Amino acid sequence: MDPTMLAADSVHSARMSRIEIRDLSKSFGDLAVLHQISLEIESGSFVSFIGPSGCGKTTLVRVIAGLQAATAGEVRVDGDSPEEARAHKRVAMVPQQPGLLPWRTVRANARLLLDINRAANPPDAAEPEALLREVGLGDFMDAYPHELSGGMLQRVSLVRALALNAPLLVMDEPFAALDEITRAEMRALLNGLVAGRGVTVLFVTHSIPEAVALSDRVIVSSPRPTTIVADLIVDLPRPRARDIDDEARFVDLCAQVRHALHGAMRP
Amino acid sequence: MSRRLVAPIFGMVTLLALWESFVRLFDVRRFILLAPSTAVRYLWRFRSDYLSAAWVTVQHAAIGLLLALSVALLIGSVLVSNRFLETAAQPVLTLIQVVPWVAYISSVVVWLGSGTAPALFMVTVVCLPAFIFAAVDGMRSVEPSTLELMASVNASRSEVLRRVRLPSAAPTLFTTLRFNLGLALAVAYYTEGANFSNKGIGAIGRRAAADNHADRLWAAIFAIAIVGVGGLQLLALLERTLLHWHAAQRTESV
Repeated sequence: MDPTMLAADSVHSARMSRIEIRDLSKSFGDLAVLHQISLEIESGSFVSFIGPSGCGKTTLVRVIAGLQAATAGEVRVDGDSPEEARAHKRVAMVPQQPGLLPWRTVRANARLLLDINRAANPPDAAEPEALLREVGLGDFMDAYPHELSGGMLQRVSLVRALALNAPLLVMDEPFAALDEITRAEMRALLNGLVAGRGVTVLFVTHSIPEAVALSDRVIVSSPRPTTIVADLIVDLPRPRARDIDDEARFVDLCAQVRHALHGAMRP
Repeated sequence: MSRRLVAPIFGMVTLLALWESFVRLFDVRRFILLAPSTAVRYLWRFRSDYLSAAWVTVQHAAIGLLLALSVALLIGSVLVSNRFLETAAQPVLTLIQVVPWVAYISSVVVWLGSGTAPALFMVTVVCLPAFIFAAVDGMRSVEPSTLELMASVNASRSEVLRRVRLPSAAPTLFTTLRFNLGLALAVAYYTEGANFSNKGIGAIGRRAAADNHADRLWAAIFAIAIVGVGGLQLLALLERTLLHWHAAQRTESV
């Protein structure tokens, strides 16, 4: 066997993250938010979480990201606890608000997560400047956040996360604040960026078409306390075309997600 | 650009002209209000005395402000991460703020003697509460999502403080610095006059008032005014340079 292929394979697998969740429950005082969730997520897959507002999707991904402790049950990220994964910078977050630091240039903002807790930086961290060029911000490296549009800010936020080269990417409604046109652009951009990187993506969204267009799998959750009501495989081929929304299979899958969602909302 | 340069000069010239004509027209007693032209002439004649006195006052105010700012950042960093201590500090800081500093200045002078020490102590103590409130407010103004982002890569407390909290507090600290500058000059001036030293504009002013020497007193008032305006200009320049990213520094309006 070609030795270079072997090497490429091991690098690839080192970047991937398999997630196992067993009987996960989470409450805040008397408020039960997550109820006995069990789930396995394959390395390198793109999984969307969709459900009614306030149902605890964000809590679920925050527990997986190690930002919140579970009340009961177990979460494993590549065999480790979420806290361990987080301490080793194996989780990259893309929050709903880009949250760029206004005193840092685009270039410095893209480096932010690499500048923090440097000891845990992976040896193969990506070059933020190359990523900025990849997302079309090559001419804006020295600009400040207040000079950018909402879509551009969110692209920097995406680069900031990808620069870590973490095997797990957690995105909490990152496009929620964007207009429809920018959203469609971001969707295509994200599909392109994630393809071939082997990264596992957990994507929280309210948009059915967004979930279907991006994901390998869509998980539909019930109102609080959240349980999983549907787990749908999206068998649309990759790479996904920009006009995938027009395809019959896409429309069909969207309908399936919608029905599951409506079923979950019914008392 | 021309408006920003011309308007303030226009304002100052108008004030001085009105003042000058008021004093001449109504023949106001020299000690109550001296014509600006007379004060400026006196100031020019004894410029080297006033210059060395101003330098002393500038040092008292500037070093006191820097001390207060440094102590406030230190205390603020502790208070921002500890609600109990913050609540405990509240009444103490409020007390420092509401008790008139002129009331206890004599005790401080007796304690620390004459010269620089009481001036620095007074400026530092009086300016401290506003700086601490500003530091805590500013450091707390960080978006929760930014803090969460920092937590997602296991940022240490000191990293969060240095990379996020302190820069976030800069705008509020600058606003407070501008407010505290006037306060620091007042405290320095008064302490210099009260501590039997013969240095600083405050000392000149105090002796002039005691001797009923109108020209010397009003020249001292003009000298401290020039120091204050100069200080504010310097702060504005510093703010424009350091906080160019902040919304308040952007002049182009939509």
